[in-house]
Amino acid sequence: MMARAATTSDVFNAVADAHRRQILDLLIAGEKTVGAIVEDVSMSQPQVSKHLRVLSEVGLVTCRAEGRHRLYRLAPEQLRPLHAWVTTYEQAINDRLDRIDDYLQQLQGQGDDSDT
Amino acid sequence: MTPDRHGSAVITFPNDLEVVITRQFDAPMALVFDVLTQPEHVRRWGATPPDEMTECTIDLRVGGTYRSSFVTGDGTVFSFHGTYLEVEPPTRTVQTWHFNCWPDVEAVETMQLHEADTVTTFTWSMAFADQAGRDHMTRFDGQQDSLDTIEDMLRSLLDPTSA
Repeated sequence: MMARAATTSDVFNAVADAHRRQILDLLIAGEKTVGAIVEDVSMSQPQVSKHLRVLSEVGLVTCRAEGRHRLYRLAPEQLRPLHAWVTTYEQAINDRLDRIDDYLQQLQGQGDDSDT
Repeated sequence: MTPDRHGSAVITFPNDLEVVITRQFDAPMALVFDVLTQPEHVRRWGATPPDEMTECTIDLRVGGTYRSSFVTGDGTVFSFHGTYLEVEPPTRTVQTWHFNCWPDVEAVETMQLHEADTVTTFTWSMAFADQAGRDHMTRFDGQQDSLDTIEDMLRSLLDPTSA
């Protein structure tokens, strides 16, 4: 059995938190300072900083200094594992419904379901 | 000739507690209802190869129960069960949902059919009792190896009696 990835290195855990998703949603619009993020969410600056640290550790946000400010921006390419998972999930659901579809076609096409 | 609808399921997450899947079938609603709710039909499409369906019982009435079990190639057994809350052939059933791998999770499934112009639209929703329940489907909860978790999440959606 593989060791479980630590929370801080796991994109899935990083986005499991609603507050962190809220921060990611804000950053879709572009780079923001911690102060600007705090203004837009109902969280304190220490909370926002803590969440930004988690998001940085999994690579979902990057940070650069500009003068005295630190600007955070979204790194959406790190969402790829999530996208891959959603694709798999979608495929499995479709496979199941496609089997129902095929079976319905078979029932209607043959007028019976006597094959095995 | 009917259109090829393979791969056309639409999956949405309308809020923090629900997953809703819709899919159209070129078949009369009454037939779709039977295929989704009669064990002799469900057994024909229920298992994802190479898994095998080892049990499929459906007592289709309010207060009646359903149970389905599967065995995987490596011998792992998983099962789903629940109780019907609403049964309105050929359009709708509502039932509770329990999955042996997630004993703490409670959900209510709704299966709704609508027919128009010989096309039947199937809407399947799962409403979890709390967000932690639905989050089993939308995140890694850290309880297991991540690949196992993906498998569990998928299996939860592959419950034939829910469909």
